Amino acid sequence: MLHGALLGSPHAHARIKSYDVSAARAAPGVHCVLTGEDFGDHRMGAFIKDEHAIAKGKVRYVGEPVAAVAAETEAQARAAARLVEVEYEELPAVLTPEEALAPGAALVHAELASYFKVFEAVCGGNVCSRTELAEGDVEQGFRESDLVVEGRYRTQPQAHVSLEPCGALAEVDAAGRVTLWSANQSVFRVQANVCESLGLPMSRLRCLTPRVGAGFGNKMEAHVQPIVVKLALATGRPVKLVLSREEDFEIVRARHPFDLRVRTGVKRDGTFVAREVEVLLDGGAYADDSPGVLGYSLLMARGPYRIPHARCRGTLVYTNKLRFGAFRGFGNPQVSFATETQIDEIAAQLGIDPVEIRRKNALGADDRWFGGQALASNGLRECIDVAERESGWPARGAIRAAPGKRRAMGFACTAHIGGLLGTGAIVRMLEDGTVVLNTGAVDIGQGSDTVLTQIVAEALRLPLEQVSVASPDTDGSPYNWGTTASRVTYTTGRAVLAAAREVERQAKAHAAEMLECAEADLELLPGGVVGVKGVPGKTLPFVAISARAHWRKGGPIVGTHTWVFDQPTVDPKRAVAVGLPFPQIGVYSFGALAVEVEVDETTGKVAVLRAWTVADVGRAINRAAVEGQLEGAFAQGLGFALAEELVFDGPRLVNPTLMDYKVPTSLEVPYALHAHIVEHAEPDGPFGAKGVGEIGINVVAAAIANAVAAATGARLRELPLTAERVLGGLLQREAEAG
Amino acid sequence: MSALARLHRPATVEEAVRLLAGGDGERTRLLAGGATLVAMLNAGLVDPAELVSLAAVDELRGIGTLPDGGLRIGAMTRHRETAADVRLAGTLAVLREAAARIANPVVRNMGTIGGSISFADPAADYPPALVAADAAVEIAGPQGRRRVPAREFFVDWYATALGPNEMVTAILLAPRAPGLGSYDKLYRVAGDYAIVSVALSVAWRDGACARAGLAVGGCGPRPLHLDEADELLRAGRLGAQAARRAGELLAAAADPLDDVRASAAYRRRVIPRMVERALAAARDELSRTA
Amino acid sequence: MSTPYPLALQVNGAEHRLEAALGDTLLTVLRDALALTGAKRGCNQGVCGACTVLADGEPVRACLTLAHECAGREIVTIEGAAGRAQALQEAFVETGAVQCGFCSPGMILTAAAMLERTPRPSADEVRAGLSGNLCRCSGYRKIVDAVLRAAETGAP
Ligand SMILES: Cc1cc2nc3c(=O)[nH]c(=O)nc-3n(C[C@H](O)[C@H](O)[C@H](O)COP(=O)(O)OP(=O)(O)OC[C@H]3O[C@@H](n4cnc5c(N)ncnc54)[C@H](O)[C@@H]3O)c2cc1C
Ligand code: FES
Ligand code: FES
Repeated sequence: MLHGALLGSPHAHARIKSYDVSAARAAPGVHCVLTGEDFGDHRMGAFIKDEHAIAKGKVRYVGEPVAAVAAETEAQARAAARLVEVEYEELPAVLTPEEALAPGAALVHAELASYFKVFEAVCGGNVCSRTELAEGDVEQGFRESDLVVEGRYRTQPQAHVSLEPCGALAEVDAAGRVTLWSANQSVFRVQANVCESLGLPMSRLRCLTPRVGAGFGNKMEAHVQPIVVKLALATGRPVKLVLSREEDFEIVRARHPFDLRVRTGVKRDGTFVAREVEVLLDGGAYADDSPGVLGYSLLMARGPYRIPHARCRGTLVYTNKLRFGAFRGFGNPQVSFATETQIDEIAAQLGIDPVEIRRKNALGADDRWFGGQALASNGLRECIDVAERESGWPARGAIRAAPGKRRAMGFACTAHIGGLLGTGAIVRMLEDGTVVLNTGAVDIGQGSDTVLTQIVAEALRLPLEQVSVASPDTDGSPYNWGTTASRVTYTTGRAVLAAAREVERQAKAHAAEMLECAEADLELLPGGVVGVKGVPGKTLPFVAISARAHWRKGGPIVGTHTWVFDQPTVDPKRAVAVGLPFPQIGVYSFGALAVEVEVDETTGKVAVLRAWTVADVGRAINRAAVEGQLEGAFAQGLGFALAEELVFDGPRLVNPTLMDYKVPTSLEVPYALHAHIVEHAEPDGPFGAKGVGEIGINVVAAAIANAVAAATGARLRELPLTAERVLGGLLQREAEAG
Repeated sequence: MSALARLHRPATVEEAVRLLAGGDGERTRLLAGGATLVAMLNAGLVDPAELVSLAAVDELRGIGTLPDGGLRIGAMTRHRETAADVRLAGTLAVLREAAARIANPVVRNMGTIGGSISFADPAADYPPALVAADAAVEIAGPQGRRRVPAREFFVDWYATALGPNEMVTAILLAPRAPGLGSYDKLYRVAGDYAIVSVALSVAWRDGACARAGLAVGGCGPRPLHLDEADELLRAGRLGAQAARRAGELLAAAADPLDDVRASAAYRRRVIPRMVERALAAARDELSRTA
Repeated sequence: MSTPYPLALQVNGAEHRLEAALGDTLLTVLRDALALTGAKRGCNQGVCGACTVLADGEPVRACLTLAHECAGREIVTIEGAAGRAQALQEAFVETGAVQCGFCSPGMILTAAAMLERTPRPSADEVRAGLSGNLCRCSGYRKIVDAVLRAAETGAP
């Protein structure tokens, strides 16, 4: 096996004039050196096909891979990569959305107009996508309001830091067909990205996924897979490349920084009337999932509330920085930081309790989501009640802090979709009556293998040990868009349940013939047995049924089901949408969060002491897994709220190491972290389940900011809430108070 | 690719120094706990030809009591051992508290005091603690041994008083006096280097401060220490006014940088606040126990 | 350059004779030469804790330890988990403390050494003891609970 290594661009924006790979090629152990010249003009991208497998013609951010080497050892490959010489002609770089939008700004993608786009993108210049969603008459709404509060908010880029860095291993067989193992969230997105960016027919590439050391959006779209496949094709040898942590920070993707302007109009009694939101997103050098993040953030910008008049608009801009993309929450944490802290400002100005104002405006059972989609299940009010009760919110006035400290509580509400796109399942009964499930869904640690196994076991009344999950494989698995958008339990679970029901149907058809009775008289009994209702002893084990099917009659029992989520996001009679990239999106989960924080008056440092995270997940098929998602999302949100930030000095990322980029440890996340599950069954979810993967992160920063404001009087509108910012706010308040 | 060609394991300090001197200058490096050096090797930031491991040098291990009642902390003493040593009490507790705040339990089980102070990261925890405790550093070199006060040992960003082919053999501490030592560390998340740290060592006699050592970490090329500030505190009762003045003096003398942990302006702002808090806590503690 | 030198390593109770360059870390040798991939490489810089193994019963970062410095030391990786470490593995599974599992080997070995020293820790002691092992999936709570649970079931 050979090892791959990359050379990154030293420039944010430059034309590649020439390469000299002779020294690298002559270096010890080197089998091949590839540059953009070795790659055809093929582009990939989830929404806009704007990205080559490796820089070609131009580099667009510092660190962007410009050359790749395969050598006998990793050390040799890395040493040789440094010997590749590239001659650049530097171009002016645009490093912020403001710079990118300025008249005469250098264009990150001069050929943008010619790129293939999967949706009706409103784009041009450095604008990658412009989106708008509106309902009602917002001007009229503000005129009707008694109080209008507005604010500008900023959020920072956050790194995923899945503990396993991205990596891939590719092997070419004698016929030239490639097998690719990689860390990913979707074998099918890997297949699509590699084939698009290399110009390969999809049938020539088989993608597999071993165990994955987590992914929070960073492993959904391509990382090094296209380059590794190309190295394997060029050398005819297996090639492995695992990014170092630094490279993982510098060249994969991160959470978008947002610049938000939010205006909300309300009646004196706290009734929400109007909301206007304008967001500006730095998309980085490639579109990646950004148009989706922009659209989704706008869809979430009205929050889980009734606001009859709302207009939300956003602009996504290309810059010469690392691409920003999907990250748990998908724009919701950023927009919720603004909207959910603004609600607290409104509550304070009106003298209404923050929980009360949310309850008053919460979407109810008959309400629709922004855009017009109906909500078949909605446990928001119960989430609010549970968070309020469990946290002891009404008695929070009695909280006392130690000298030198301030303590207070904060509250926030949220919702999130789970769904999107195509999914399938194949449930096969083996000769011995045990069952194998194949969905192509990647378990990235969230526990979907367990949950999907439970669904089959429950449907077929089998013990868990008799159901196994096949590993995702583009050759053998039905299509699955991916482990993303909080979708696997809901969408894949539905396919799995339907496929299991099909197995039940086939098994009963066999049994009816074998027992000479009507199918309708049969039932599944625990342990893999079909029996005649009300006739004890008249039973057949799955093994007998499966043997018949395999060897004598009918053929092996295989249940399959595929489907795609098809309810429209926008009802054109209710709302106007422009440039929204997802016509159908998914079903809604709801949540509420209460936190208690302590602020150190000396330094401004914030500690979260306790938290109550509540979510309506439809039906919790596996409680421990649901709690794990809520707790983990809380921890990641806590990092976003208080500490995490990718810092750029001009074009260069200055903290691409875990020494400098800090994520929360066991001492930052409170042990008093209480996950509470509310169950409002989704009628068409598997056993009533809906999504939970992301919802827990959405309002962590908002709730913490609300608690900090309650503790200090300082309303901070920029993340993260570092000790520095909090102390600044606290001292300013003291100065204002005299 | 590593050019590392020799890994020596001397048994004595003299042998280690000989190996250092016999090597090729910068290309020969001492290896202590490896917590910094191996990370730098991994990242390709250093490329030594020879390493001299100190793991087998018995003399460098552990904490011993000196004839005068003072302590000698061998250069290879792990942070974990220092954090657990009850002899580091009274005025010397500052060192134990600083050791307990370094990194995390696993790194404390690897890193050594010699490695830490030789590397002299200005945000590290030992340097201000040693300066506050007025410790001395014992150094061995081709010319034999010498001692340098900690207050002179730290010279600049990542630079010490160690000469060519010299090494740290021990930290020497005068006998502890009644009083207290404290170490306050402000950080982004647990286990990170300090944004600002305040090390304090106070000898207390007859209800008043007999000697004070106050040093600030993370705020400039070397631990921030002013004789004038120590002097302000001496002979008083660490009153609020003296505390405020000491904090102001240190803040004015600080030379911090903007970095990923915090801005220089914030550090200047927090220094007096943390200093005042440390002194107030010390005052409370001493008046309660004295 | 990178000449391999012979090295005898005691790992999980067995002696391995192999060759390693002087600059090779214990982590590299465990993963690449001995195929003991339980120790993970999350940062190669000492921060994440995923590579933590036991050396003479004490937790160390395999990524910060030169393999040749380990001659004569008894190394235990998660593959050699026995006694306390095994009880911890079971408690991790029962408590739901494993999500992606990338941090689990380092967590479990660090916790095993901690329980050796402090058999009945409080939740806060466990939090402090594991603070050098990052987990990005969980909120740590279930990990702390798993360690408390293993401590309750007592010594192996
Ligand atoms: C994740 C992590 C977090 C950390 N956090 C902190 C923190 O919060 N606070 C803190 O203070 N430190 C921190 N450190 C540093 C750590 O505590 C060690 O003190 C430090 O790495 C150096 O000690 P060492 O024994 O490992 O030295 P080594 O890494 O072996 O050596 C460091 C340097 O010192 C030289 N050297 C070693 N011994 C001697 C000697 N006796 N004489 C002369 N030169 C010598 C070496 O040649 C090398 O240049 C952290 C380290 C890591 C990996
Ligand atoms: S890989 Fe060793 S601590 Fe991260
Ligand atoms: S379980 Fe994934 S990092 Fe801990």
